[in-house]
Amino acid sequence: MTAIHDGATAPGEQDFAEGTVYNVNGQDWDQVVEAVADSSEERLVINMGPQHPSTHGVLRLVLTLDGETVTEARTVIGYLHTGIEKNMEFRTWTQGVTFVTRMDYLSPIFNETAYCLAVEKLLGITDRVPARAQAIRVMMMELNRISSHLVAIATFGLELGATTPMLFGFREREMVLDLFEYITGLRMNMAYVRPGGVSVDLPAGAVDKIGEFLKVMPGRIKEMRKLLDENPAYTRRTKDVAYLDLTGCMALGITGPMLRATGLPWDLRKSQPYCGYETYDFDVPTETSCDVYGRYLVRVAEMEESLKIIGQALDRLAGSELKGKPVMIEDKKIGWPSQLALGPDGLGNSPDHIAHIMSSSMEALIHHFKLVTEGFRVPAGQAYAPVESPRGELGAHVVSDGGTRPYRVHFRDPSFTNLQAVPATCEGGMVADVIAAVASIDPVMGGVDR
Amino acid sequence: MRAAIEERYGARAEVSDSFGQLTVDVAPGDWTDLLTFARDGLGCVFFDWLTGVDEPPDGITVVAHLFDPARHAHLLARTRVPRDEPRLPTATGVFRGADWHERETFEMFGVIFEGHPHLVPLLLPDGFEGHPLRKDFVLAARVAKPWPGAKEPGESGAGSPSRRKTLPPGVPAGWGTSAATPPPVRGPRAPRQADPDG
Repeated sequence: MTAIHDGATAPGEQDFAEGTVYNVNGQDWDQVVEAVADSSEERLVINMGPQHPSTHGVLRLVLTLDGETVTEARTVIGYLHTGIEKNMEFRTWTQGVTFVTRMDYLSPIFNETAYCLAVEKLLGITDRVPARAQAIRVMMMELNRISSHLVAIATFGLELGATTPMLFGFREREMVLDLFEYITGLRMNMAYVRPGGVSVDLPAGAVDKIGEFLKVMPGRIKEMRKLLDENPAYTRRTKDVAYLDLTGCMALGITGPMLRATGLPWDLRKSQPYCGYETYDFDVPTETSCDVYGRYLVRVAEMEESLKIIGQALDRLAGSELKGKPVMIEDKKIGWPSQLALGPDGLGNSPDHIAHIMSSSMEALIHHFKLVTEGFRVPAGQAYAPVESPRGELGAHVVSDGGTRPYRVHFRDPSFTNLQAVPATCEGGMVADVIAAVASIDPVMGGVDR
Repeated sequence: MRAAIEERYGARAEVSDSFGQLTVDVAPGDWTDLLTFARDGLGCVFFDWLTGVDEPPDGITVVAHLFDPARHAHLLARTRVPRDEPRLPTATGVFRGADWHERETFEMFGVIFEGHPHLVPLLLPDGFEGHPLRKDFVLAARVAKPWPGAKEPGESGAGSPSRRKTLPPGVPAGWGTSAATPPPVRGPRAPRQADPDG
């Protein structure tokens, strides 16, 4: 017997080769149960998603059930495929940033940084990116990690039936998004990190605003911990659920909080530092329970570590050594000539820069025109640069043929790889635990499908 | 690691360094053997990713990134399959996690991974024709449907007729809604039979 949860077809029963199809479209539940009760078969195939609130976007799961036990879990992906990798082959290297920031929409800064680090490797300018730009990148990445983990925990609470963590999580996330808006002009998809540095320096008052955030946030995380850490309703749904040990993670290529919940302190910020992470003082939180609860604990502890890093980065940015220093590489052939300025309606063109190129310097205008419309050339070759995103290893494999546009860009998105763990974590468990298992993977479908 | 690979494969493997990363090029016949050797002999137990790079006219390069978590060593393994007959033995027998990566490479480049347990398209809609990441696949969405946000004169076929018509990036000349030969039809056909194995 096969039941298909499908609102598009007419109510009633249909016979197919594999069994009977029962359509559930909002009729009385007793009717459905009655019809199913007559059947002698125990096997039930249920379609979940793609528009299910607990599927983090548009993930479709096909579950085969034997009673309450999941015997087979299959994922169907691709509903958010946008062809970003193909599109990037027809834009300049700098325009690529605008595309990659839209992949994993909960961690845009990480997408941008991974891509820019790979492009900088190809350009051979990794060491010449200004220290101030690197510190801003680190600070923005850690702010982004907090906002991303907050969504993970918030939606997770909602999916298990608790509204308060959701409200708390999104309220706190709003503080981070406000900071992003203040600094970059946009709350999401900022295209802020560019090859050679960042698009614009911190506006006046940003340091104070982030300082305030650092004062408020530890208390808010404690509130969240108080709500969930010892909550029996929460721990019963999460402890010993969706077990995946180190061997399983290694075989499937799982990274991020899922891997660190197996006890391995694997973090690219420590194992192969980039953007100067080796100079910051922070720990890599781990758990050994290999379950959903462990992954939650790792995420919360990581937010606390991120606050530590933000504090250190902020001290450097406000300190005399980096204050007022450039945020874009001082190389006329690569550094973006266009200056942006924060106006009353967000980030836009800088009036000073426009006045300069339009009325006082012909050379500056030619230079601006050439670099902005044609872009810079990148030497032929291939490079791979990974960063530790909130979900695990996010890497960009970039191939150049020496032109002004990428020849091929491939993204190793952690959500894509981690989602392969759905059968391993769900099969053999209860159907109710599928929700907890998928939520603990924290997939972002924009990153999975790209 | 470099010496071990050179010793085992000799002239059959081309070992190079690409921005600090060890890169090994082997023939398709040595592909599975290289991956197995990397896992068992070199300690690269972590499979990171696998993808393709289309290099017309003759070949498609398949790239895999492996990792040694104990020594923090990377290995970029590459092989080149002919473009008209792109066949490669699957890596799923060596690394279970290669499953989706190979399915993605299969649908985007048309590389057939022999022995893959379930080699069906992964991301694209049912019945999609063509391999989008191949260089000869035209990025034609803007031709099929004019962009509503067009600002340039001549874009979307509007504006003064004396203007040079600008085509969106990725579209070859001679295409477009007003072109003599209409673009070949690509995209979703009738949906296939539902596949419960997904």
